[in-house]
Amino acid sequence: MVTCLADLMRPSVGFSAIRLLERAGCRVTVPEQQTCCGQPAYNSGEIDAAVPVAQAVIETFEPFDYVVIPSGSCAGMLSHHYPALFEGEWRERALALSAKTWELTRFLTEVALLPAPKRAALEAAVTYHDGCAGLREMGIQQQPRQLLQEQCGVQVQELTENQVCCGFGGTFCARMPEISGKMADDKLNHAVASGAKVLAGGDLGCLLHLAGRAKRRGLDLEIRHIAELLAGNPKGPGIGEGRQ
Amino acid sequence: MKVASQDFLQQAHEALRAKDKVERRDLLGQFMPAARDAAANAYGDFDGLRAHMKRVRGHTTEHLAHYLQQFEEAAVAHGNQVHFAATAEQLNSTVLSICQTHNARRVAKGKSMVTEETGLNELLLKAGLEVLETDLGEYIIQQAGEAPSHIVGPAFHKSLAEVRELFLAKHKLGERALESVSDIVEEARGVLRERFLAADVGIIGANALIAEHGTTMLVTNEGNGDLCANLPPVLIICTTFERLLPRAEDAMALQRLLVRSATGQSHTCYTSFYSGPRREDDVDGPLETHIILLDNKRSDILASDYHEILDCIRCGACLNHCPIYIGVGGHAYGWVYPGPMGSVLTPLLTSLEQSHDLPNACTSCGRCAEVCPANIPLPDLLRDLRQEESAQQLKPARWRRGLRLHAWLLRQPVLYQRLTGWSMSALGLLGKRRGAFRRMPFASGWTSQRDFPAPEAGGTFMRQYAARKRRGGRRG
Amino acid sequence: MAESVRAALFARLRERSPAPAEPAEIARALATIGYATAARMPHADLHTAFIANVLANKGTLELALDRGAAVRAIGRYLYKRFRTHKLVAGNDPRLAAMPWRDGGVLPRFGAAEPGDAAALSYARLGVAETGAIVTFTGRANPGRNNLLPEDHLVLVNREDVVATLEDAWAKIRIETGAGAWPRGIQFIAGPSSTADVEAQLVLGAHGPCRWHVILVGDTPAQALEQARGELPEA
Repeated sequence: MVTCLADLMRPSVGFSAIRLLERAGCRVTVPEQQTCCGQPAYNSGEIDAAVPVAQAVIETFEPFDYVVIPSGSCAGMLSHHYPALFEGEWRERALALSAKTWELTRFLTEVALLPAPKRAALEAAVTYHDGCAGLREMGIQQQPRQLLQEQCGVQVQELTENQVCCGFGGTFCARMPEISGKMADDKLNHAVASGAKVLAGGDLGCLLHLAGRAKRRGLDLEIRHIAELLAGNPKGPGIGEGRQ
Repeated sequence: MKVASQDFLQQAHEALRAKDKVERRDLLGQFMPAARDAAANAYGDFDGLRAHMKRVRGHTTEHLAHYLQQFEEAAVAHGNQVHFAATAEQLNSTVLSICQTHNARRVAKGKSMVTEETGLNELLLKAGLEVLETDLGEYIIQQAGEAPSHIVGPAFHKSLAEVRELFLAKHKLGERALESVSDIVEEARGVLRERFLAADVGIIGANALIAEHGTTMLVTNEGNGDLCANLPPVLIICTTFERLLPRAEDAMALQRLLVRSATGQSHTCYTSFYSGPRREDDVDGPLETHIILLDNKRSDILASDYHEILDCIRCGACLNHCPIYIGVGGHAYGWVYPGPMGSVLTPLLTSLEQSHDLPNACTSCGRCAEVCPANIPLPDLLRDLRQEESAQQLKPARWRRGLRLHAWLLRQPVLYQRLTGWSMSALGLLGKRRGAFRRMPFASGWTSQRDFPAPEAGGTFMRQYAARKRRGGRRG
Repeated sequence: MAESVRAALFARLRERSPAPAEPAEIARALATIGYATAARMPHADLHTAFIANVLANKGTLELALDRGAAVRAIGRYLYKRFRTHKLVAGNDPRLAAMPWRDGGVLPRFGAAEPGDAAALSYARLGVAETGAIVTFTGRANPGRNNLLPEDHLVLVNREDVVATLEDAWAKIRIETGAGAWPRGIQFIAGPSSTADVEAQLVLGAHGPCRWHVILVGDTPAQALEQARGELPEA
């Protein structure tokens, strides 16, 4: 599943994920009917609007062996929150989907392993932002670090307070922008203090929010999804960056 | 206490502008979690302890009437007078009438969130009583005429310099330096000691009610609560039925969770179990003791989908771990209980109409649930409240319409992809040079704080993917 | 009105219970849950663990072989702190029987008064898990004696030290078994303290500023050293 944000804002994340999965020996399909997991409505309390979206996702992805998503947040939605939306037959179907849903980096370290890379190490100081849902719902913490080490030869320069939310929070960032901006600033300040030039993460929501704030503040940080880094030294501009 | 939660956003805005306070809270947000984590790790199987407590709570809740009756009978047998109050007003008037029966003039209070909730002080003061908060933090905010900003450290928002100013103005003690925190504590100790000794009535809360013995557990570090419980001739314990636990051992298990989660200690200085008035063998202690059990909508909550919030032990860990609480501080929340637990409790104990911003002051990051010693699924409860906000049509209408339109569109993949394909291509082209937009129609919430990153050039993923497939499956 | 409030609450609580169970049934269900697991001990040896936790609670601790040694230790403490021999202590027969003259201590037996600098309690129990001592209010130890003085001195017998809080309650249940439930049971673990201003820890909030524990009995001196070794540098 390509997340809605990758679809709309950062297609290269989707293509990078496909390349990585193929490199790990998978046959990859992105179903034409896929749109979004329905989190915005769900998290805003519009549960009845989220339910049919979830049903559509369940139906769309039922034929596949694995559902791999380049986002801890959307993976968490499918894995943890879908089953809670239903009872009876739909709950069974949601649980079946949950059981085969994986976040990309965890899938690449536990199910389909990536072969050793044939390219040179990435010449960049990288720090990593752990998305909250990935961290707390999907158990994603050491996997992206391990992959960056193995695939890119990069040792992550850790953020202080790396378990604290960046302030994206879906609709939260637009409904309470001032608080959200303060949280983004904290995260960005830690990123600058880490000495890294690249801020990587596994969730585009967080990254778009941080990139937008970094751009507003004129910070010199290249912000990228981890799939872009793992798939090969990316040449295009970072998130929110213009073409030189 | 009066509810000001409807002004959350404005209050948060003001809180974020006071840079020195922001820095103080940021520090709090760093060292309190560190202290809690160290203590939880040193404990051994802390998660096992949390799970154990959850089982005990579940059992107690299932048989609450039984345990309440057991507690009441034992407490009465010890010589306590047990009162029931359905509302805040009933608790307040019960306290007042006890004070009036004894012609009391001076009341010394230990820290009690329940009486903050009912606004007891206001009523007692209006009736001409002298009411003294004795917990140092509570004393400070009482002198300053403020509400607590934190349920464990009510005056965490005050700097040493501010407390110094306050004491110099309020205590007429002449010239003195009052330069260190120790000086402040020493002065408060001196001032309050006299008044402890002169108090006619002591009022405290309870951290647990032990059904089997009819005793109440009081956990403090300062010893002020114990002075209130031991010196004045009348003691009133203001509490709520969800503090009930079957056995003393359960209260000890709770205390283990509480101290580590609240302050990172392994034991508080004073953990006391009080059973009632002075015995034949006693040479001190109150001659009369009252226990007032407040409901104030708790029996409604118990019967609702939010009943797990009643497991809250008031440790404040969810506050310390919440980046939004740390960002805006307790006063922004506009009532007694702030942070995640407060954002659940405030709508339930006051009204969602007044406080529906609070459940939205959450990114669902899950850090509160991760550390909650009572394993309360706070983010889920907050989401449920957001659902109720929608159901009651309290959410801004344009938000609601937007979200529902979006959800509808998601189920029309062809239309969705055509619309997004077109608009993202356009945005991608427009924003190609700068990479981001400073302003964006319909996204003022986003762009008030951040630029809007432009979509990557080349169109949406789905459009490019379809094109590649048409070109014969060339990938990557 | 009061009675109707009570009745209404009970009615609501009963509504919520799936089926009213027999007390014996509830007790069985509770017994199945059992007790919690105590905190990890800082030392395998019970007394070393107790000492280490007393020190961690910002208390001070001395070993005394017997009551005579304890009296002498108290005398030294009082002289060093207050240049006095005066002390207030509850009417505890165990305290009354101590050889006070040997230590040059002049105790007054009764309840502490505002001017008293130091009070002495004979603890019922010590708890290794938390470094707490346990007292009951009563003639033998008025509640205020724990709270009013500047310094609180506590004797605890070696054999009264238990491992966990559950062990403490097992003993308390035996001691209070005859129905003589004390007005107050106090677990004390350190001098009173506050961190309410600037989250900075200050000892001596409203209760005692210093808390000195004397462990009475034949405890090897190295227990104290080992316990100290666990602490960061003083």
